[in-house]
Amino acid sequence: MKNTNHYYSRPLGLFILLCLIPLWALAQTITVKGVVKDSSGEPVIGASVLEVGTSNGTITDLAGGFSLKVSSKGKLIISFIGYQKQEVLVGGKSQFNIIMKDDTKVLDEVVVVGYGQMKRSDLTGAVVSVSSDAISKSVVTSVDQVLQGRAAGVQVQQNSGMPGASSSIRIRGVNSLNGSNEPIFVIDGVIIDSSTGSGTDNALSSINPSDIVSMDVLKDASATAIYGARAANGVIIITTKRGQSGEAKITYDGYFGWQEMPKKLDMLNLREYAELKNVKSGKDYAGANWGIVQADDNFVRPDLLGEGTDWQDEMFQKATMTSHNLSVTGGNDKSNYALGAGYLNQDGIAIGSGFRRLNLRGSFDSQVKKYLKMGINFAFSNSRQKLTVSDESLIETALKQTPNVAVRNAEGNFDGPDTDEYVQNNPVGLAMLNDNRNEKMGIRANTYAEATIINGLTLKTELSFDYGITNTYKFDPSYTFGAIVNGTREGAYSKSYNKYWSWRNIVTYNKKFGNHNLSAMLGQEMQKSRWEYLYGSRKGYLSNSATDLTLGDPSTAQNDGTSGESSILSYFGRMFYSYNDKYLLTFTMRRDGSSKFYKDNRWGWFPSAALAWRISSEDFLKDNSVINNLKLRIGWGTVGNQNVTNNAYLATYSSVGTIWGTGLLASNTPNQKLKWESTYSSNIGLDLNLFQNRIEFIADLYYKKTKDLLLQVPLPAYVGTTGAGSTSAPWKNIGSLENKGLELTLNTINIDKGHFQWKSNLVFSLNRNKVKELDTESSLINKTYQSGDLVTVISRTVVGKSIGQFYGYKIIGRFEKATDFYYKDAEGNVKPTALPEDMSIGKNSVWIGDYIFEDVNKDGVIDDQDRDFIGNPEPDFTYGIGNTFSYKGFDLSIYLNGSYGNEVVNWGRRQLDNPRENTNLLKSALDYAQLGLINAAGPDDYRNVQIIGGDAHAARMAASSATNTSNYRFSDKFVEDGSYLRIQSISFGYTFPNKWVSKFGLQNLKLYCNLQNVYTFTKYKGYDPEIGSSNQDALLTGFDNYRYPSPRIYTFGLNLTF
Amino acid sequence: MNMKTSKYIYALVLATSLTFTGCSDFLDTENNSSITGDNFYQSEEDFSAATAPLYSKVWFDFNDKFYYGLGDGRGYNLYAPYSSYIYPFTDLNETGLTGPLVSAWGSLYNVIQQSNKVILGIKGSTLSDQDIKNQYIAEARFMRGVAYSYLAMLWGNVIISENTNDLIDNPIVNTNPTSDVYEFAMRDLEFAAKYLPKSSSPKGRVNKYSAYALLSRVYLTYAGYSSNANSGTRNQEYLDLAKKAADKVITESDFSILDNYEDLFMITNNNNAESVFALQWIANGAYGEANTLQSYLACGSEITNDAAAWGYWTRAQPDVVWEYEADDTRRKATWMAYGDHYDEIQIANGGYTYDKTETALNVKKYVCGSTKDNAGISEQSCPINTYMMRLAEVYLIYAEAVLGNNASTTDVTALKYFNKVRTRAGLAAKESIAFEDIRHERRMELCMEGQYWYDLVRRAYYKQQEVINYIKNQQRDVITPVLWNTDSQTLTIDASRDPGSRSIGNIDESIFLLPYPESETVQNPLLKADPVSYEFKEDRITDLFN
Repeated sequence: MKNTNHYYSRPLGLFILLCLIPLWALAQTITVKGVVKDSSGEPVIGASVLEVGTSNGTITDLAGGFSLKVSSKGKLIISFIGYQKQEVLVGGKSQFNIIMKDDTKVLDEVVVVGYGQMKRSDLTGAVVSVSSDAISKSVVTSVDQVLQGRAAGVQVQQNSGMPGASSSIRIRGVNSLNGSNEPIFVIDGVIIDSSTGSGTDNALSSINPSDIVSMDVLKDASATAIYGARAANGVIIITTKRGQSGEAKITYDGYFGWQEMPKKLDMLNLREYAELKNVKSGKDYAGANWGIVQADDNFVRPDLLGEGTDWQDEMFQKATMTSHNLSVTGGNDKSNYALGAGYLNQDGIAIGSGFRRLNLRGSFDSQVKKYLKMGINFAFSNSRQKLTVSDESLIETALKQTPNVAVRNAEGNFDGPDTDEYVQNNPVGLAMLNDNRNEKMGIRANTYAEATIINGLTLKTELSFDYGITNTYKFDPSYTFGAIVNGTREGAYSKSYNKYWSWRNIVTYNKKFGNHNLSAMLGQEMQKSRWEYLYGSRKGYLSNSATDLTLGDPSTAQNDGTSGESSILSYFGRMFYSYNDKYLLTFTMRRDGSSKFYKDNRWGWFPSAALAWRISSEDFLKDNSVINNLKLRIGWGTVGNQNVTNNAYLATYSSVGTIWGTGLLASNTPNQKLKWESTYSSNIGLDLNLFQNRIEFIADLYYKKTKDLLLQVPLPAYVGTTGAGSTSAPWKNIGSLENKGLELTLNTINIDKGHFQWKSNLVFSLNRNKVKELDTESSLINKTYQSGDLVTVISRTVVGKSIGQFYGYKIIGRFEKATDFYYKDAEGNVKPTALPEDMSIGKNSVWIGDYIFEDVNKDGVIDDQDRDFIGNPEPDFTYGIGNTFSYKGFDLSIYLNGSYGNEVVNWGRRQLDNPRENTNLLKSALDYAQLGLINAAGPDDYRNVQIIGGDAHAARMAASSATNTSNYRFSDKFVEDGSYLRIQSISFGYTFPNKWVSKFGLQNLKLYCNLQNVYTFTKYKGYDPEIGSSNQDALLTGFDNYRYPSPRIYTFGLNLTF
Repeated sequence: MNMKTSKYIYALVLATSLTFTGCSDFLDTENNSSITGDNFYQSEEDFSAATAPLYSKVWFDFNDKFYYGLGDGRGYNLYAPYSSYIYPFTDLNETGLTGPLVSAWGSLYNVIQQSNKVILGIKGSTLSDQDIKNQYIAEARFMRGVAYSYLAMLWGNVIISENTNDLIDNPIVNTNPTSDVYEFAMRDLEFAAKYLPKSSSPKGRVNKYSAYALLSRVYLTYAGYSSNANSGTRNQEYLDLAKKAADKVITESDFSILDNYEDLFMITNNNNAESVFALQWIANGAYGEANTLQSYLACGSEITNDAAAWGYWTRAQPDVVWEYEADDTRRKATWMAYGDHYDEIQIANGGYTYDKTETALNVKKYVCGSTKDNAGISEQSCPINTYMMRLAEVYLIYAEAVLGNNASTTDVTALKYFNKVRTRAGLAAKESIAFEDIRHERRMELCMEGQYWYDLVRRAYYKQQEVINYIKNQQRDVITPVLWNTDSQTLTIDASRDPGSRSIGNIDESIFLLPYPESETVQNPLLKADPVSYEFKEDRITDLFN
């Protein structure tokens, strides 16, 4: 949220220096000399020094010095962009030391608002901006990460720590039940749908963050409505670098860094694993066979064993990353240009992951005629991502792989378990040998012509393209890892081609008459997206080395190819009116037609209105020395969502291979009544700047209601919508939900003395989400997760509660003693404690040491009716705290972000904390409740059994799989507090003094180091409490299923301008 | 050109472009990836393309794990201590969350709903030839009837659906009682028996006699069904129908049994003369179109030549091995015992000799080898048909229907058919048949063809306590260590090892019905409410056996 003009200050200064002819003073004058410096003591080059009331002036030189003949009674005014103007009386003095103060007045910053720009002071909607400063002070590899905790109301969570992976971005909460809640990104006019990215594949990863000048987040509907049908989840507008008039400026920015695992889980070593296995194959407390596993002859003397393999150490590594960025900008008063190239290479901390990206970009703008401006920009990217870890769930495999298995055998080849049944494969071997990656190429271009017809009236036509090719490569070689043998080599390759284009025509009219200021815009836009997909695979390769399809056995070939397209046609307009800079009014209107809906329901209207009152411009506050700016904003608007599959309104049939040739099966359930999902939102905001803008405070309160929610309705399987050969369930408009919230931003300059400056910024967001109506028959939506053969309901969404809340059983205690199997009801009757369905008191059923579940419906039995809401993934609030300190050339910034009050499902613990599982386990799994006979001579009867050890909250280890399944059912045991406070980054830099670097012909030289993901304060037991959403699905948020942890990153970098 | 003119030209170009881009057919997009409803169901070719997937993909999830996991696992032909897709069934403690149970429910209903769509699509077709229409409607109703007969045996009261759209509009409906479900299944199969052609064209498609064969099984099952599970007798009317239906198949159809039992389970013998109804899987099929059985049953990668061979711990329950009579050739075709040699696997090495362990027998049936043995095999895809019904079973149904409520029978025809099955297996003919002979013969003949649990349920409809006692006697909670003796070709108890134990569910009358999938009861609590009787929408066919 920092002024972006600052970036251009130096070249502009130089330009003025070069262009202006010194003006010579008149008679009766004295010569004054002086030096102009900034608060850090650096000379300010090119500052203008002017004698007030005359045209007499000069420009400071490279040392910040000036010399000017002025009237001895005159007044000097010193100014430079980015600094506050200063006036000094000459008063006969001939030597001046002038310290310029940073201009923190950000009000006249230009904000991009969708098909146009506005001065920040004219804004009526809720718009937040993030400058390139924020990007340069952290190590981000993808633009979505920049926003994390830096913009109020914008919640960003990385779905995976894997290089190149995606984030879940939620602007003002979850607006839709439909899979994606991701905002759209408008990059130099090209709309990019971030929801096209899945968990590991990020649609935005092709964009180089260092190309970005600013990101403007449009939050409320009065700001987003101009994007109509696609704006329901908010809009993020990204502006990349363009050239500036002046001598060419070449900037290099590069860094080198290391990444490491921030945390390790405490897993069993070989001795502990062997001991546990011996227990499970031995005799239990009553002398009966446990019989859970067969005895392993190698584990006869666990005390003689070593630590075994630490699979976390083997799987995770210290990984390097490097980044180089070079840009050239320049131009003259008619034309300007910008060129850039970037390269990023990030290895993954887990073997079998990594990301590389090459970017090239250029822009050229020219005033070709007095009345005609034209420009083009293009961006090319090429990225490569390794996916073996995520595609084959190798983090899960590594955690489960047992310590008795070696990574490599004596010959140095990859080893494996000594049986191939019910064991884990060698994750390191798979990560190293399997080829599983993608390569993407994309070119994004935008070209425009803008004509000024008469003064104030411009016509702009703009054509944008975004073409992308994604290749995926997958080759499974043959291998022998111990007893695990894969004899069949298989190659599978795919190519997909995406093509998006849009053409828009915009008329803008600006007119100022007296105190009235009018700006109107009318536009029309057409957008078309098309994708094609081609897939081929073969088996039966003769070697692991050459893997092209042609080398596979042609008789095993399989292939597939599909395509699809969608289009949107739109008309829109905006009117802005202000009176005397006090009363500001904006109206927008958009009409969109989308190919995704049936003819009758294609078109939607999206209006908005907003009003702002600059109270500080009123007479009673105009000259107030404390309040510099006070503005009240009120807005209302409607936006839409059209995220459904193509052809959802048409009955379609898909082909099935049969022995009699191609067969056809109905593939969907059409719904012609399908229409837009609409979000109505209201916003009240306040902007307040105090004490020469040293304190800036922004507050927004909002209420949003989304109607006609689009959802592929969950139907019972008996409708024929689940599994192979099913038809997909219909898309319907099924209900409504609301989001309300509060956002606060506070930017302060705490200390600004001498060369020392301390700035802080605080961002606070609070959102409450509630489902208002659901028209599904059951009025609820369950989100299930399937692992192996078990399908589990993870979250349930019902009317009156926030969406995607975790749903399961509640553990209310443990059977500690025989009397726990009975309780006295209110009338004093002794009743049996509710036991799980089909279970009774018994060692192979429910026993001492098993969990007592809450009998929610009080029917005396624990069954699926006894589940309840056991956690909410939505945080109470999220926050970010930034502090920047600078002293002379040094700067230090520390940035923290956090989330409070959200819950997380630690899914891995359902297995890794379960002592009965035959995989490797967490150390905490050893704390199961240990049983003993009360009277050693007595029978093995529950009245004669007691708990003699183990953790007070852990269940017993049971021989019976039924008991085990019951104790480890999905319950609140696996729901943990996901609150955290993270030291997200600490960056420290030193900018060399100009007088030194200028000797080498440099304009700027900065060295910096950065620590990213420094430390996380949390109670969460998994790797990382920042989970995101599985496949960006809002109904499966905060579900940690062996998520790839975000790395800790140390970087050292250099920034050079000449 | 002066500035003003060019400005006007520019404005004109812009205005034109605005007009041009205003065309609303811009929103009519191209769809090349699927066929839409408007241009389908117009010819016999279309009908045939619509019924073809009813033999494979819709059954995929049923075939994948449930076919043997329930049929043989719950019947206790199989012992699979670590396979979570089998042991919940053998241990009798499956729940509404057990994966294969959930997916089989979904699969059977996919068969039903896709059949419904085909039936409605053909009914609404503009094609005028009613015979052609009836033939393909009959094919779809055959599938729907088979699916409902499974649902009736497994879950009892279920929802009968003839039109998917009704359920989409209102999915919260009551179930219909078991007897209505049976009747619905029979009506479907009767329609199929009436309108399907006499012989299959092309090969593998069901014909009139496939429908009679399935009818004989359903009639026989339904004969025992009443409100009293221990009535001890079966309904003679349905016993007679079962006999008549079986007789039609045996005497009128093209079906005949193969000479050699082992040949039934060779890929090259798909759709042989004995195959009455089989699921049809394609070679090198993609997921959903391929037969995955081999991957779960094959005991090791040396057979499949890939990592998908997860069956080492899926083994013959000793009891079933002990039940084979000496010289029963079906044992080797069903189970691999130490030293057994199979020519069709590892052909390049001169065949495969099973030598994995002497402590167990692994599965042979549906295990066919690797891509080197048959180019149609690939990972998790083995193009062998899955038998849903063979002529041999029709023979046994005939005999059982004749036996009916008698203690034994010496009916000549019944003996003839019954002994055809026995003698093919290399066993001596019987001179009299009692129920125990039928039970035994069915178990041996159809072992690993997913039938045995249904045999037990069929019996439990009228002699429930006897079946409960039988299952209790199986002692599923004790795992007896055994050893295979190659010389004597016998399985003996290995006294040197301790017996293992398993915890199993309660054995009572509740085991004969499966729990509804939890995902279903959550969405439709009415599943647990009392069923309401079904209103049949047409008259039942009565002229099938005239």
